[in-house]
Amino acid sequence: MSLDERLIAYVDGELPPAERARLEAEIAADPGLAARLARHRALADGVSAAYATVLEEPIPPRLTAAASAANDRAVRAHPARFAPWAAAAAALVVGVVAGRVVGPTSATLVAQDGSLTAQGRLDRALDLQLAADPGPVKIGLTFRTADGRVCRTFESGPDRLAGLACRAGGRWTARTVTAWSPEPQGAYRQAASETPPELLAAVDSLIAGEPLDAAAERAARDRGWK
Amino acid sequence: MHGLQRQIVEVLPRLRRLARVLARDVADADDLVQTTVERALARQDQWRPGTRLDSWMFRIMKNAWIDESRARSRRGRVFAPEEQGEVIGFDGAAAVQARLTARDVARAMARLPEDQRLAIALVLVEGLSYKEAAEVLEVPAGTLTSRLVRGRMALLADLEGDAA
Repeated sequence: MSLDERLIAYVDGELPPAERARLEAEIAADPGLAARLARHRALADGVSAAYATVLEEPIPPRLTAAASAANDRAVRAHPARFAPWAAAAAALVVGVVAGRVVGPTSATLVAQDGSLTAQGRLDRALDLQLAADPGPVKIGLTFRTADGRVCRTFESGPDRLAGLACRAGGRWTARTVTAWSPEPQGAYRQAASETPPELLAAVDSLIAGEPLDAAAERAARDRGWK
Repeated sequence: MHGLQRQIVEVLPRLRRLARVLARDVADADDLVQTTVERALARQDQWRPGTRLDSWMFRIMKNAWIDESRARSRRGRVFAPEEQGEVIGFDGAAAVQARLTARDVARAMARLPEDQRLAIALVLVEGLSYKEAAEVLEVPAGTLTSRLVRGRMALLADLEGDAA
């Protein structure tokens, strides 16, 4: 594997633990390597951020209609190309379009409508990763609140942050964020000691019942955290 | 509305996002999403409940896009040449970040070969793992990583200018 290949796999959370540890040691010893890693990380965040706002756009009615069609014959009644009513109807769709994200593209949390919204790699991890999944961001507990919302704890090594984010309005909003560092290489790791106490307190204040188990976590993800 | 249809509606924002990476403009992207949804519904017996609907639909979109690209080249339609972005000196990651506006990224992505753009879209934009992305593209893992690496090196060279 070439050096860039390893750095890219590292950024994507795809290096096996042993190789990850070896690369981290090399990076720690070589500022040139750290700069090269930063380029790959900036690119990954920039590409992700460049398309992130598409998720906040209202869905054109013709697409919702196509998905809701009783059968494919009904769908074909609406030609795909240049439906003249589509643009006008889009204006009638009730939807909240989030304010423009201002700031560096690598931001992990962005202030939006009075709350902190997850962006970039943090948003991706909260959306897609399960508790056991490797990556620069690790997901801890997933649980439901009394009003049925899904919340997840996270630890982001690159951002040196740990926190608790809850799903609301199609976004992950941080409820608690705290400074956090990954444990040094080779340190004895114990699950309970990894989560900062203030985070555990926040979980205790919000959780209804038990945390989701692996199957329930996967099912909740596949339903889009509804 | 049936269960599958409701789930497809929930995946629509992400289908639109992936299509936006592939297609040239919003109208073409939404046409691609519509074709994808129509094909998915026509073949819903092929979907195995319990597997990831997003990956299955991404694969349908990939195939629809390849079909459309072939039709486009048969008609002899070519993309307008991209204007050359201004080249500025490379000054570390800060310079990359400063230059990575959505427009610059989209322009650089548009210059990539189709297969590299697809690999990057699935991993960086949609957040799929290498394994999941390789399955969507129906290629071996090694092919996926080599497309990812070549594409990303090309993007870096493009966005940083020749000084890198």
